[in-house]
Amino acid sequence: MCRASSAADAKRGMWMSLVTQQTYEIVAKYAKRDPETITPESTLKDLAIESLDAIEMIFDLEERFGINLPNEDTDLANGTMAQLVEAIERQLALKTAGG
Amino acid sequence: MVEGRSGIGKVSAVDPSLLRYGGVAAEVRDYDPAAHFDAGQISLLDRCSQFAVLAAGEALSQSGLPLDGANAARVAVVLGTGAGGESSRDEQYRRLYAEQATRLHPLGIVRMMISAPASQISMRFGITGPTFVVASACASANHALAQAVMMIRSGLVDAAVVGGAEACLTLGSLRAWEAMRVLAPDTCRPFSAGRRGIVLGEGAGMFVLESLEHARARGAPMLAELAGVGMSADAGDIAAPSVTGAAAAIRAALTDAGLEPSKIDYINAHGTGTQANDSTETQAIHQVFGAHARHLAISSTKAAHGHALGASGALELIAMIGALRDGVVPPTLGYLGADPACDLDYVPLTARPMRVDAALSNSFAFGGLNAVVALRKL
Repeated sequence: MCRASSAADAKRGMWMSLVTQQTYEIVAKYAKRDPETITPESTLKDLAIESLDAIEMIFDLEERFGINLPNEDTDLANGTMAQLVEAIERQLALKTAGG
Repeated sequence: MVEGRSGIGKVSAVDPSLLRYGGVAAEVRDYDPAAHFDAGQISLLDRCSQFAVLAAGEALSQSGLPLDGANAARVAVVLGTGAGGESSRDEQYRRLYAEQATRLHPLGIVRMMISAPASQISMRFGITGPTFVVASACASANHALAQAVMMIRSGLVDAAVVGGAEACLTLGSLRAWEAMRVLAPDTCRPFSAGRRGIVLGEGAGMFVLESLEHARARGAPMLAELAGVGMSADAGDIAAPSVTGAAAAIRAALTDAGLEPSKIDYINAHGTGTQANDSTETQAIHQVFGAHARHLAISSTKAAHGHALGASGALELIAMIGALRDGVVPPTLGYLGADPACDLDYVPLTARPMRVDAALSNSFAFGGLNAVVALRKL
C-alpha cells in the first residue's frame, strides 16, 4: 500500500516535470531564447511574447496537452511561468478526473 | 440606442454548447426572410445580401431619389463588408466536410461571393453606375463611405447608395473569433474597467449620399453633411492597434472636412471593448485633440448593436446622424467604472442631450486599416 502510493507519487512527479519541461520548450520557441534562461517568475511580458504570438503559443500548449485553457487562466501580460504551468496542470487534472 | 437598449443576448444562430465562452451576440432576432423575399430570391441571397438589400430599400425610399433609365448610370453602389456571404459558406463547408455531401447547392458561389450584396442592390433597384464592395475588415463601411464621397466629389456620379452589411454569426466564424481570445463572455463594455472583449453583431446600414447641389435641386430630405473622410494604414501589426495610425486617420478626416479639432463635439468611437483597442483609441484622441479631448463627448454604441465588423461604421453613422439631428448623444452601455487607461468622457449608460454641430466616427480595423468620417450638422 505504502509502496504503491510512493510509486504513484513518483510517477506523478515525473509527469508534472514533463509538463513543466514541455511548457518551457514551447514558451522558449515563442520567446526565441534558451529554455534554461526562463524562470518560474518570468512573465510573458518579460519574455516579450506579445499579441498574436502569445495567443498562438497558448493554442500550441492546448494542442500539445489536449486541453482548453480558459481566458481567465491565461494572463498574457503579467501571468508568470509558474502560473501558466499551474493552469495547465489544473486542466490536465480535470481531464484525468473527467475520464 | 438613445434609450439604452442593447441587442446583445444569448446567441441563437448556433448551439451555444458548441462554443467555449457561453456565446453572446447582437443578432437580428426574429428575422424571417420569407416576410421580405420570395423563395426564388431567397435561394440567391445570403443573409448578408438580404440585410443589404432591405437597408438599401429603406434608404432609397426615405431619400426619395428617383431611379429611372435617365439617371441609373449616375448612381453608384458601394458597400462595405468584412465576411460577405458567411452563412452560405459555412453551410456549404458543413455539408461538404461534416456530412460528406456528394452534391453542393449550385448557387453557393453566387450567394457567398463577397461582392454579392452590392450586385444584389444594383439588380434590385436598377442602378447601373459604379458598383462594388469594399473590404477592410472592421473599417469596411467607413472605407465605402470614403469611396462614395470621392466619386461624388469628382463628378463621376451624382449619388451613391452606400453603407455596410454583415451576417457573420455562424459556428465557424464564432469559433474562429473565440480562438483569437477576443470575445467577451458576458457583454461588451467599451472603455470600462472590467471589459473583456468584443461581442459580435450583424445587420446593415445603408444611406443615400449625394452632393449638396444635387440634393437641393431635387428637394431631398437631408439628414447630415458628410464633411470629410480620413484614411491611414498602421503598417504595423496584423491585429494589435496603433496610436499613430489611428491618430493619422483622425487628423486626415479633420483636414479633409476643414474642421479644427476644437469644433468637434462628439466622437462615435471604434470602442470594441477589448483592452488594446480602447486604451489605444483613447491615446490617439489625446494625441489629436490635446486639451479639447476632455471636452469631447465620446461613446461607443457597440454595446448596443455589437461589433458588426464591416457594417459597424454604417450602424454607427446612424447613431451619428441621430446625435447631430436630434441633439442626443447615444450612451456607452455596459460601462462599469473608470479604467485608468481610458480617462475621457465616454457618456456612460445614459444618453446625453447636447447640441452636436460636428462629429467623428472612428473605425480601426484588424490589419491596421483605419477610416474616419466627419459629419457636420445641416
